[in-house]
Amino acid sequence: MMRTAKLCLLFLLPLWLTTGCWNLKEPDQLSFVTGNGLDLTEDGKLEASTLVVVPTGVAGGGQISGGGKKESFHVISATGANVTEAIVKIQAKLSRVVFQGHRDIVLVGQKLAKQGMGETFDPFIRNAQSHIVSLVFVVKNGNPKDVFSNEPMFEPNISIALEKEQKALGFKPYLSREFIADVMSDGIQPLLPAVSLNSTKHFSYSGFAILNKDDGVKLVGFLNRKDSYYAAWMTDRLTSLTLTSFVPKGDGNVSLRLEKLGRRIRVKKVDERIQISVHLKGEGTIMENNTNLDPSKRKDLLLIQDELSHKTQKSVQLLVKKVQKKYKIDIFGFGESVHQQYPQKWKTLKKNWTKIFPTVDVSVKVDLQINDPGITNSSLNKP
Amino acid sequence: MMVLFGNTQQNNEGKTNLNLSAENMDKNIGKNILENEETFKKIFNRSSDIMFREIKIQGKTKLILIYVDGMVNTDIVISNILEPLMYAGLPQGLGAVDSVSEMLEQDRFTVLQTKKVSSVNDISESILKGNLALFIDGESIALLADVKKIETRSIQESSLEPALRGSRESFTENLRTNTTLIRRIIASPNLKVEELKIGKLTRTDVAVVYIEGVASISVLDEVVNRIKKIQMDGVLESGIIEESIEENHFSPFPQIMNSERPDVVAAGLIEGRVAILTNGSPVALVAPMTFWGGVQAPDDYHQRFLFVTMIRWVRYIFTIFSVLLPSLYIALTNFHPEMVPPNLMLNIAALRERAPFPTMIELLLMEFMFEGLQEAGIRLPKQIGPLVSIVGALVIGESAVSAGIISAPIVIVVSAAGIASFIIPRYSFGFPLRMLRFPLLILSGIFGLLGTAIGICTIFIHLLHLHSFGTPYLSPVAPLNKRGLKDVLLRWPRRLAKNERDQP
Repeated sequence: MMRTAKLCLLFLLPLWLTTGCWNLKEPDQLSFVTGNGLDLTEDGKLEASTLVVVPTGVAGGGQISGGGKKESFHVISATGANVTEAIVKIQAKLSRVVFQGHRDIVLVGQKLAKQGMGETFDPFIRNAQSHIVSLVFVVKNGNPKDVFSNEPMFEPNISIALEKEQKALGFKPYLSREFIADVMSDGIQPLLPAVSLNSTKHFSYSGFAILNKDDGVKLVGFLNRKDSYYAAWMTDRLTSLTLTSFVPKGDGNVSLRLEKLGRRIRVKKVDERIQISVHLKGEGTIMENNTNLDPSKRKDLLLIQDELSHKTQKSVQLLVKKVQKKYKIDIFGFGESVHQQYPQKWKTLKKNWTKIFPTVDVSVKVDLQINDPGITNSSLNKP
Repeated sequence: MMVLFGNTQQNNEGKTNLNLSAENMDKNIGKNILENEETFKKIFNRSSDIMFREIKIQGKTKLILIYVDGMVNTDIVISNILEPLMYAGLPQGLGAVDSVSEMLEQDRFTVLQTKKVSSVNDISESILKGNLALFIDGESIALLADVKKIETRSIQESSLEPALRGSRESFTENLRTNTTLIRRIIASPNLKVEELKIGKLTRTDVAVVYIEGVASISVLDEVVNRIKKIQMDGVLESGIIEESIEENHFSPFPQIMNSERPDVVAAGLIEGRVAILTNGSPVALVAPMTFWGGVQAPDDYHQRFLFVTMIRWVRYIFTIFSVLLPSLYIALTNFHPEMVPPNLMLNIAALRERAPFPTMIELLLMEFMFEGLQEAGIRLPKQIGPLVSIVGALVIGESAVSAGIISAPIVIVVSAAGIASFIIPRYSFGFPLRMLRFPLLILSGIFGLLGTAIGICTIFIHLLHLHSFGTPYLSPVAPLNKRGLKDVLLRWPRRLAKNERDQP
């Protein structure tokens, strides 16, 4: 028995020396950061802001503390030569250890994005405590601090609200590890979701920000909301989409909610030139019908289907043209498709891909399918 | 109770002499009835409940009856012993009888079970077990008649192992009743009941029950040998046998299954196990035992197999819960808070806000309290029992939290782990799980998940090392026996199970 006890002690002893051990931190010794913001101040200094949760303010704590409701979050910011220095300064303002393990969101201000956010992103990759499943957003026309000070209607703080909103809008969550992967790979340019602030400093979700990773991950421009959906569809980052379109033959609008979305990018080599055909597919239900067509009749249904497909196809074609002409960078990830389908060819192409991309011949085909015309056959105001 | 642990003969000062009549015990009785009477009077001196009764047949042959008052059935004694002796007389006259004992046994006590014994030791022991001893002048033997009538409890429902379906019977304190209960289920001549006597003072009857040809001979020999080796003054309960014959005394895990239910014991016998019944204890022992036996309930084989399979998995998960929940909680919240989902972590942090103690102290305090309540609940008289649960629920549930002494998640964790340990069908098997919570909790509280891992590894190493009468404790999982897994991962449907004993 004594021998066993001694052996046990001997085995336990090295544990004390093992690194990482005895990192005991009670929850009340930590200040949980749910959001990090990065931006430049007026005079061009790097400013980091954190959204710190006040545990007594969130659900459960209120009951115990009694009395008036405490605020559930605080925004604290500081400037520094780099992110870490700023965080150290933030720490000086807090009685609890800054804990980034629960960060849901990283917001990058437009100013910083314009200047290039490549360098500032380093601690988010390097630090072991950093959460690589947090979401990255660009703040359009504003400062992360202002977004953080928004008090959302349902959630205790804005970072949880933004995370849920992305899902509610039908986007797949774009995690920072995917952002990092996109930046690291050759054939795709990162598209970050953007949040904009209106004049009352209230936030709203607004499309995608286009970044050029070949140039220090600099902001190139923003896609509008509609284009963002198409871009997300083409990059397989969309789970649902609602389209509304005018149908001339029925003299009215039809709204279609697509729940099954698919995309296929085919690469062809014609005389050493790359040709790309994008095939987008969607299946869904009619949500609203203001036309005088009857979707329960096959003829009318096909008419609506074709019209919507055609309209969408045109819009997507326009988007591709616009990106090719205006931004000249491959946000759709065509390069990756080339890489996958012609790995040998890609080796020579990848260096010049930014130059090749605007000249690539892209054909778009959209096939929409209406599975369900809805419960009623026709509109109420039938002539 | 100290008598159970120490040898009484070691310290004789201030005690009555245990071996007062030891010089007489090994002898045989003589022909002189008066000397015999003297011997037994010496052995049984100062025992008012032992009756010596003299009678004479036809006024000539002297007989002495010795018995314990209250242990013999007086009606039987009167009608079957005294009446034939006193009134029937002897047909051919006393002179024609060669041996009175022979005559009595064959002619008079025909309805009684009688035995001729001459050893003083055997006779006194037999008297103390409730037999009547008859001494005849001129013969160096005593006639022992079985006229026992010992008050026993009736067969009741098992309180320790309730089952929704299946027999309601449970063992009683009487060994004979218990063996009968088993024989009623297994009516086979192959069911053997070997009797042993252990305990210097108590001379407790112990029966080793097994089915010949089914039970493993090596296990049986081992069981019998180990029981024979028990050197103890008092054997009051089967727990004493269990403790004395198990292999690893320091292991928290029981290596012998105990059960109150004849059907469980019978099932064990049919599977080839060996049962040990102890007189005076309603708890039978079944060996060998495995880990998986500990989490199987009596009615597992009587319910629908799909349901039982599901419930078995619930049990496995709860078994893990009952050991690991507190330690996982402390390791995750204190060492690896990033592993807990953000919203949950924030809620935990919010609820912990006012707690004055570190999580580990909170958990230890609460666990300690819980174990105390549980023990109090068992020891209290039935009338006060509900009081404990009410006070306990108030103290550890509501007040401690609202007073800010304990944080709410701790109550959830401790009560969940507590409930989890009750789902284990064998009560004795829940003990190690309850106990191991504490070392694991301390390990995890100091080293985080690394400590939890070390703790789990230690437990598994111990379990793998453990044997019960030659059977590995974790079998059939380790060592792996694929056929045996059918009864561990699932409750294999009977229709698909091939029973080798179906064909004769």
